[in-house]
Amino acid sequence: MSREGQRLGCGGAGGIGIGVLSLDMLGQVLDRLREPRDHKACRLVSHALERAEAAHRRALRALRREPLPRLLRAFPALEQLDLSACASLDDASLAAAVAGADLGIRRVCLARASGVGWRGLEALVAACPRLEAVDLSHCVGAGDREAAALAAAAGLRELRLDKCLGVTDMGLAKVAVGCPRLEKLSVKWCREISDIGVDLLAKKCRELRSLDISYLQVGNGSLKSISYLGKLEELAMVACSCIDDEGLELLSKGSNSLQTVDVSRCDHVTSQGLASLIHGHNFLQKLHAADCLHEIGQCFLSKLATLKETLTVLKLDGLEVSVSLLEAIGEGCDNLVEIGLSKCSGVTDEGISSLVARCSHLRTIDLTCCNLITNNALDLIADNCKMVECLRLESCSLINEKGLDWIATCCPNLKEIDLTDCGVNDAALQPLAKCSELLILKLGLCSSISDKGLAFISSNCGKLVELDLYRCNSVTDDGLAALVNGCKKIKLLNLCYCNKITDGGLIHLGSLEELTNLELRCLARITGIGISSIAIGCKSLIELDLKHCYSVDDAGLWALARYALNLRQLTISYCQVTGLGLCHLLSSLRSLQDIKMVHLSWVSIEGFEMALRVTCGRLKKLKMLSGLKTVLSPELLQMLQSCGCRIRWVNKPLVYKD
Amino acid sequence: MASAGESGDGADGKGVTTITIISSDNEAFEVLEAAASMSLTIRHLIEDGCADGGIPLPNVTAGILAKVLEYCSKHVAAVAASSEAGSSSNAADAAAAPEKEEDLASFDKAFIDVEQDTLYDLLMAANYLEVKGLLDLACQKVADMIKGKTPDAIRQTFKIKNDFSPEQEEKIREENQWAFE
Repeated sequence: MSREGQRLGCGGAGGIGIGVLSLDMLGQVLDRLREPRDHKACRLVSHALERAEAAHRRALRALRREPLPRLLRAFPALEQLDLSACASLDDASLAAAVAGADLGIRRVCLARASGVGWRGLEALVAACPRLEAVDLSHCVGAGDREAAALAAAAGLRELRLDKCLGVTDMGLAKVAVGCPRLEKLSVKWCREISDIGVDLLAKKCRELRSLDISYLQVGNGSLKSISYLGKLEELAMVACSCIDDEGLELLSKGSNSLQTVDVSRCDHVTSQGLASLIHGHNFLQKLHAADCLHEIGQCFLSKLATLKETLTVLKLDGLEVSVSLLEAIGEGCDNLVEIGLSKCSGVTDEGISSLVARCSHLRTIDLTCCNLITNNALDLIADNCKMVECLRLESCSLINEKGLDWIATCCPNLKEIDLTDCGVNDAALQPLAKCSELLILKLGLCSSISDKGLAFISSNCGKLVELDLYRCNSVTDDGLAALVNGCKKIKLLNLCYCNKITDGGLIHLGSLEELTNLELRCLARITGIGISSIAIGCKSLIELDLKHCYSVDDAGLWALARYALNLRQLTISYCQVTGLGLCHLLSSLRSLQDIKMVHLSWVSIEGFEMALRVTCGRLKKLKMLSGLKTVLSPELLQMLQSCGCRIRWVNKPLVYKD
Repeated sequence: MASAGESGDGADGKGVTTITIISSDNEAFEVLEAAASMSLTIRHLIEDGCADGGIPLPNVTAGILAKVLEYCSKHVAAVAASSEAGSSSNAADAAAAPEKEEDLASFDKAFIDVEQDTLYDLLMAANYLEVKGLLDLACQKVADMIKGKTPDAIRQTFKIKNDFSPEQEEKIREENQWAFE
């Protein structure tokens, strides 16, 4: 009855103590380590732990193609393979990596892997007999041959072909025939697909539960075909301009299975059509109708009321609303958890009152640009919706600290609040400091926010992950000092145009070890000294924006080159870098995949040539001044493109900003 | 934790059958069948009718077995209490439910706060006896001891010897840095 797996040897590696645990049990312990950092630390502890980690690793996000063959064999338990960040991955290297292997991999992500085509996919499918899910989104060159290669994966259940612009009805047909067990499919943006393709899909893939046909030019005929899918739960048809009420009527004749429907931006859909849709699918949970309706008819409202038990999410962005409408919604759907009224005109305190009076379960309330609402609306929300977690109040300029105080007092679960362009000041941040669960705080364009306000936040919002201080130009270095004292978990920080900040402030930011994205546009006073602190201290830094930082020169970028080894995305447009500095930077940053370098006036053409050559196919995205298109050598541009790099040429004037 | 129990019905009509479990060093423990059944291994044995005269566990010592049974008894009592609260119309009972959950959580926390060697023994016993809750608890405890530490700190915590050569270590470091995330 003993079920001890293989025991690790005693003495030498591990020994007694944790060495008594078998490989299998060590694996169970490792399964409970969520952070990749912890797994990597374990690999360095001892042979035994390294072996256990390797035997149990289930997910891998490869960054380079050279070690791929070895890694795929070193981790036999691998189920998820993410190749979207793998620099210069192409057919040959992918095929070589999987050649002859029998891998247990179930999910593969190849999003934006523009170097991979049907040959690589064929090899992949052959090597992974248990393949269930493939994400090929944004491989804009992918077409029917690639679809055909994937169709060979008979067990495929999930497939994303978003923006695979070459896929037509033919490719879709191959997938439909080859993968009858398909449950989730997205062909968003594959505009070559027509009603014919969708019809065949609906006939062959009867298990489909989730389908995204957004942005396609399909018409009502497709909805008729889709209505035969008896298990369909989610349907997204954003911006399908050829669909109208008739189509929704046809859809409503199907089996009553839909739970989520998205008809946002469908110009020809009216509330009448939605009413008939709801008639046929009265278990709807999520209804997204943003930016498509011009008015709401009574029949829609009465139908909406039939969804009382199930409807949890309703998005009506861009609609002209009235008090009576909001009242009807509140009365009809009191189980709402999320309501979207972004850019809806006519939202007043009174309207909010009628809405929240009934909907006490609301957790997400989007009132972006509902600029008529005042503190009264916030009071009402605070009184009625104690569970609220996310409040979007961008451009609601009539609110201030009084309303926020009551919210902060009554709603302890508040995790996200967007006060962009609300004109609030430090007094508003004092009550918000009560929200110890706060994760996301957006204060863009609130120029009255100063160091004092940041000190409030820092005193209690220790879980803060994202802070947006775009154009909060009263913030100084002292504010940053106060911030990093209390908010050590910040990952995303936006300080664009906070032009009082100097190197001193950046030195404080150096203590944010979890910082991944940092935006520092137009901070004219920062130099290499500040950049060094960031580069050395912010070990997790992946994205850095230094556009218009005029004092950043070669010395500044040298620090980045030396220390910011995990950096993947960088913007240095308008910085004072020379060709030599650029070359050094691009050759040293081995993880860099995306660089924006518009208007580097001190870099010569030869400088650009050299710098881009040393990237050796690592780059995936590049943004440069369009004037360079004609002067850079064609072989260089060719090489970049064949390694999967997408180049954006822009025409920006050379203007110095404030 | 030997408790004197009687087979047969209790006062409330619910069965309070007890089972005897014998450790590897021949110590006998008497526990409620419901508690013992939290171990899938033991439950299968009971179902197969092998429970008469006590269930011998040649791989588990008395000390560890005592702890495992303590865990099972506490958890099975909690489950019984919450299902009573669920079915009772007493508002006070229902209100007390989250409190009882907290009690259980603090029991678990104190329970697993043991020396490393005991922790590993508990982990292995929970695995062998298939007591899922205890296995989760023990594995999570060990994982928590690893979280956020550098390799050196991990070695110190678990008294593991570094058996990598400098070249091997460098190779893994390189891979950690460049090859994957």
